[in-house]
Amino acid sequence: MRIIDENEPALLKRAVRGDEQAFVVLYQKHQAPLYRYALRMTGSPWAAEEVVQEVFLLLIREPEKFQPDRGELGAFLFGVTRNRVMKHLERLPREDSLDEMNANGAAWREPEDPLTPMMIAEKSERIEQVREAVLDLPAEFREAVVLCELEEMSYEEAARACGCPVGTIRSRLHRGRALLLAKLELLRDAPRRASAGAR
Amino acid sequence: MMKCEEFELLGLDMDRADAPPEEAAAAALHAAGCPRCTALLESWRELKQDLRILHESSRFLSAPARVEMRLKQELRTRREARVPQRATRVAAWALAAAAVRAAAVGWAHWQNGTPTKTGTSEIAAVAQGNSDRMEAPFLAADYDTGDFTPLPVSMPTASADQAIVEARVQRGALMQFGLTVAPEQAADWVDVDFLVGEDGQPLAVRLHQDSQSEAVTQ
Repeated sequence: MRIIDENEPALLKRAVRGDEQAFVVLYQKHQAPLYRYALRMTGSPWAAEEVVQEVFLLLIREPEKFQPDRGELGAFLFGVTRNRVMKHLERLPREDSLDEMNANGAAWREPEDPLTPMMIAEKSERIEQVREAVLDLPAEFREAVVLCELEEMSYEEAARACGCPVGTIRSRLHRGRALLLAKLELLRDAPRRASAGAR
Repeated sequence: MMKCEEFELLGLDMDRADAPPEEAAAAALHAAGCPRCTALLESWRELKQDLRILHESSRFLSAPARVEMRLKQELRTRREARVPQRATRVAAWALAAAAVRAAAVGWAHWQNGTPTKTGTSEIAAVAQGNSDRMEAPFLAADYDTGDFTPLPVSMPTASADQAIVEARVQRGALMQFGLTVAPEQAADWVDVDFLVGEDGQPLAVRLHQDSQSEAVTQ
């Protein structure tokens, strides 16, 4: 049986005994979504990097905290990541300078688009405004928007990830959308009444 | 019929795959007849488009490679730290096992009465090729070369986790390990090294130099 086919608890056991290959399989499978979640929630590549590192260090140092009978490893790791992110947000309300570059040194990129330079610039500005507006949302609304709109999770999945009922997620998402629309309307000075939902 | 307040709460979900179909249908019906809610829906769809672009622009982001490197280093450090711990544990168990064995044998001899002492070492006798004891193991312990004599009761092992345990035992105690000892020598105290396996069981034995010379001179 190939190592990649082994189940996660078995891989984790091997990793904790010092099997690097088993650890890398687990790490590669889970790190990217955790990093993206942390990055979108904190707006800081450095904070996201630190969070991901802490999460996997915990897995190495205290593997017994993961109990396979209580859920999958991915859900456990997401729960730990979420706690770390929330602690980070409590410590630092929000960092003022939002780093444009990710930690690999690559800038936030937009998909290739056959637009004029002027249109591309406008579009970039719009996307940047959206990103700023998402980061300005209160943490619980931001989380609902990140999970349901950016990570494209279903309500069920988002509710499981946050440990709350589906109704709570929908309500937070509703508030988050309304705040986003209101903020962007202000920024873009649009005449629409998008703020209606933000009352 | 859905009202504007309900549309603001539920209507923006109408494009989602996991929206309840009847709810989505009611929202679409309401939006078709309400310019205010149509405008809200358009604003949301525009924002949703921007969110999708934001999602696409960052969907392949992952933690930098240095995080993986640091974590691997942590794994290696922990693995290296664990090896001496295990060796210490093995040695401690081996020492305890040897002490218990020696005590038990000593007690047994004491119960049976102390045998008389003669000047001949059984080990030396075996080394001299005592023909009627050829089935007994040959304790060719050579302290200088560090050679150990495998114990007949031990199983061969390829494990690297072996430890040397120094002990002072009565010669008679060596009988427990399948070695032959002359009854008259059984009460003598000798210094020996046991090579102990990962499971705490002795695998081989060697006499200390002093004990060897003593054995020869006796």
